[in-house]
Formats: sequence, structure tokens, C-alpha cells
Amino acid sequence: MGGALLEVRDLKTYFVSKQSTVKAVDGVDFSVSQGRVLCIVGESGSGKSVTSLSLMRLVQGPQGRIVSGEVLLEGRDLLRMSERQMSDVRGNEIGMIFQEPMSALNPVMKIGDQIGEVLVRHRHISRREAREKAVELLRNVGLARADEMVHEYPHQLSGGMRQRAMIAMAMACQPKLLLADEPTTALDVTIQAQVLDLMRALQKETGTAIILVTHDLGVVAEMADDVVVMYAGQIVESGPADEIFDRPLHPYTRALMDSIPVIEEERERLRAIPGTVPSAAHFPEGCRFADRCSLVEGRCRERLPELRELGPGHSVRCHLA
Amino acid sequence: MATYIIRRLLGLIPTLFVITVIVFLLMHAMPGNAFEALVFNPRLKNAAAIYNRLVQENGLNQSLPVQYFDWIKNLLQGNLGISYSLNMPVSELIATYLPNTLLLAVTAEIIILVVSIPIGLYQARNVNGPFDVLSSFIAVLFYSIPGFVFALLLIYLLSFTFNLLPSSGTVTPGVPWSGDFADRVSHLLLPALALSLPGLAYYTRLTRGNSLQVIVADFVRTARAKGLRGPRILFRHVLRNAVIPIIAQFGLDLGGLFSGAVILEQIFTWPGMGELSINANLNRDYPLILGTTLLFAITVLIGNLLADILLAFADPRIRYD
Repeated sequence: MGGALLEVRDLKTYFVSKQSTVKAVDGVDFSVSQGRVLCIVGESGSGKSVTSLSLMRLVQGPQGRIVSGEVLLEGRDLLRMSERQMSDVRGNEIGMIFQEPMSALNPVMKIGDQIGEVLVRHRHISRREAREKAVELLRNVGLARADEMVHEYPHQLSGGMRQRAMIAMAMACQPKLLLADEPTTALDVTIQAQVLDLMRALQKETGTAIILVTHDLGVVAEMADDVVVMYAGQIVESGPADEIFDRPLHPYTRALMDSIPVIEEERERLRAIPGTVPSAAHFPEGCRFADRCSLVEGRCRERLPELRELGPGHSVRCHLA
Repeated sequence: MATYIIRRLLGLIPTLFVITVIVFLLMHAMPGNAFEALVFNPRLKNAAAIYNRLVQENGLNQSLPVQYFDWIKNLLQGNLGISYSLNMPVSELIATYLPNTLLLAVTAEIIILVVSIPIGLYQARNVNGPFDVLSSFIAVLFYSIPGFVFALLLIYLLSFTFNLLPSSGTVTPGVPWSGDFADRVSHLLLPALALSLPGLAYYTRLTRGNSLQVIVADFVRTARAKGLRGPRILFRHVLRNAVIPIIAQFGLDLGGLFSGAVILEQIFTWPGMGELSINANLNRDYPLILGTTLLFAITVLIGNLLADILLAFADPRIRYD
């Protein structure tokens, strides 16, 4: 994809200890263009969150290590930058929001100061100017009480308000890319929709690209231009959202879609995918989904399938597709 | 807040009442009294008569409840009585000796906080590094050895062997510069250092442990995702949260530091409350025992109150109404 804003090539993030090497992210490639929304979908343990943290180089060391790969932001490799250069990128060119808006905000710091801090760091303005700007930013994310809220602490806000404040903070420097790691998982369903709408609106307004990490296919359907499906540290299918939803090729993607309950249909029970994601410390020899796949054949257990492009931009990692 | 403080201060009264009753009973449970020694002085011809007169004059022949309520009555009029052994008003004695103990305890507190918090924070930042391992070992060692052992060691090293600091008193008598600032500081250093060492070790451990818990918190990751640099994250986000339990502990220890000074004051012949209260107990000097104990109890209670007030300032989630 030419002119990609962010391009990830063969990213590998391992957690290394004396006993084992956990390959949380094991060779991932994808790219995002300006103004697009890319969703990374997968179950718990699929490596999607570690992928997003790796892009920001925020994987918890010393066990967590980005072993190889390239993360190119407008051609500059983030993985080769010094820590100081990287800190200039964080919060400035890439904004990030997290799953738990309560624990992701400092409990003893005023909301206004937490937002202002980013501006003081990257825009080099005074603390007073930063606080004024914070009011404006909070208003932009739909918080009407913004002037009071800058003087309040996180525990005084509701979950939805906190996540809005987080978004205001991540968007403060008008980043080129917004990384959202399960931003709606901890919220009520009605608030989820509001937060997603807000992200959509901000994205239209500012043209920022979004990488949205989620396990919720409903969120994907609502938001995604492009989708990456991850399983056991690898991409098993990727492509434009319409393609993936209309013509899912990987058995895992299909199983994921089948597991969404449909209200009109009467089912005896929910169609869950049997089994769990294999432990990242002991991946099987062949296809990592083989043990849970209903279509498994002999060759699936012998050789790990390659990611093959089967349609325009639509790639699948399966021998049978 | 003001009403809270007033309410808490009023709440101290019943506690103090109970404490004084217990001390009063224990004090009278000790064998002998302040005047009995007179009886055994062979040079006093009419010892028995003098003894009876003194006992009567000081009301010791009355029942314990009467004696106690006499004491309370005087206390409410601001009269702590007159010391049997020193023949001076107890309030005057306390006014003379208290400032010395205050000076010693406050200096020790300052040394504890100023040294232990940076060390603990630095240990947490480089956890399991050489500095952390070495200083943790020393801290545990210091904490396990009683303060008076250090006192003797310090005297041996700094006074006796290298002759750097004086080991007794508050000033050097009989020299022109007696009692000037440098003279007082040099006398203060050794006892303050001895008093602070165990606390220093303990608070280093406390800071290290708290900081380690905070360092892995989500909001610290958020701070890094905002592009903030090391020192800002460490002080504004980590320390600011790690200091909260330290404040709580500090208040509890404040009173303990006062009573901890008792033994050290003996070793360094420091004319403070410790010396005063030990002599009071040895001489069965009832008014002085009650006066000094009351003061120790008040410092413990005030310390707790102070900690609660400081906590409200440090942690916005705590509110007293």
C-alpha cells in the first residue's frame, strides 16, 4: 500500500524469561493510511494489545522485548529511534487511549493538568495556556461542564466522561494516528456507542488515522475500514472490512462471526469456538488454529500456512482457503 | 476541614482521660513512693515525722480516686503540680526540656524523609540493579539493629576514633563560642543521626515498595504514552502517588519517635523529655510522671491527627466533612 502513514513489517514481540519464551507477537505486517480506521480483532491472548503497545514501544521491560521488525511512521522507523526521539513521537504524532479509563488516569492529578501536561511537553506553552486549551479540548469531546471539569479529579467523573477525557488527552496535539486499545470494553453499552461516535466524528474532523484494538466484532462492523484478524500472535486474515464481513475466508474468522448471537435466530445455545488459544510459550508445529478448527486436515498439523493474498488486499493464512 | 479538625481535637479528650487513668493506676502500683527513701536515712533523727508530713502535704494518704480527681481538677486549671524531686513546677520543667526533644525528633524526621524517599524511589526505578540490592541489604540490616546499638557505634566511630563530633550535651561548656549555631548543630548531629537510622531504613523500604506498585500502574503507562520523560513521570506521577501511604505511616511514627528518643537521650546525655521522664519514674515523682506521660500521649494522638490532615491534602479522594 503506497503512501501508508504507518507501516508495520514483521513485528515480533517476545516475553523472555529463564523458563520460557512467550511469542506474544510473532511476525505481524499491516499498514494504515491517513484517515483510515484499522481494527485489530482477536480473542484474549491473541497478541492484539501487545501489538498496539509495541507500536508505541510501551511493552513492559525487561521481559517484554521487541525482537525484530520495523514500525515505519511516514518512513521513519520507530523501533530504531532513541528513547528521547520516541518520547517526542508519543502523545504528539501518535496518541493512545486505553481500556480502563479509571486506572489509566492519575488519581491525584486534576483532569486539566493531565491534559495540559501533554501540551506543555510537546507544544511548549505555559501551564496557564495549557489549562485554557484543556477546557477547549474537553468541550470538543462533548463535555459540557468543561470549565469545572479541569479542576476535578478522575474519581469525580463517570466512566464515560473519563474515557472522553482520555480521548481529549490523546488528541490534544492533533496526532496523525490514534491508537485505541479496547477503548469501549470497560464501558456501558450506551456509553460505548457514544464514545465510538465521538471517535468517528473526531476522525472525520481531523483526518487522523485510527488503529482500534478490540475483541468486539460489533465495534469492528461499526468502525472499521480495514480489518486485521489476529490469532496466537499472528495475522490469520486481513483485508477491507466489507470483504472480511461478506467473504470471511479463514475458519477462525468465520467462527468468530458465528459466535455473535443473532436475535432473530433461535439457537439452542451460543456457538462458542471450542477450546482456547494455545499458550504462546508452546505453539504447535503446524497451523496454530488446527486444534480448534472444524475443517482440520493432515497438512494443517504439519506445516504452518503462509499468509497468502487471495483477493485485492485480502490475505489469509490457511491451507484450505 | 476546620470543623473536622475541631471535632477530632475534642475527640482526643476521652482518649486522654483513659490514658491518664491507666498511667495513674500503674504508677501507684509501683512499689514505694517518692519519700520512702527518707525513712532509711540514718542521719535523719525524726525521719518518720518528716515522712508523714510530706505524705500528708502531697495528699498521698488519700484514696486513689480522690488523688486522681485532685490532679484532674488542677490540670483543668492549667496546673500540673510541683515535682517532688526537682522542686519545680512540672509545666516549667516540661517547657525547659521539651524544646530539646522537639529539636532532636524533628531533625531526625527531616533526615529520615530527605534521605529515604529519594533512595527508595531510585531503588524502585532501577529495581534489582546493583544499587538496589546493596542498599536494600543495608536497609534491612539497619532496620534489624536497635537504635541504641547504632548510637554506641556512632559515638565510637565519629567521636572516640575520629573525633569529628561531640558525643554529649547540647553545647560545649566554657568556650567563647559555646552555644553558637555551629556548636549546637555539631552536638545535634550525632543523636539525630542515631535516632533516624532505623526509621531511615524502614522508610526507604516503604518508599521502594510503594513506588514499585505505582510504577506498573496504568496511569504511569499513560504518562509514558503522552511522551513525558523519566524525571517528570517519576516525580509527578510515581512519587506523588507513592507518597500517600508514607504520609499515613509518618503520622503514626511521629509519637513513636518522641518515645524512641528516651533511650538515646540517656546515651547522649541530651537534656530532653526522655531524661526527664526516666528520672521521674525512678524517683516515683508522681506529678512529673503524669505530666510527661500526658505529653507523650498527646504527641502520639496529634501525630495521628496530623497524618489524617496531610492525607486529605495528598489524596483528593479523601474528604472529611
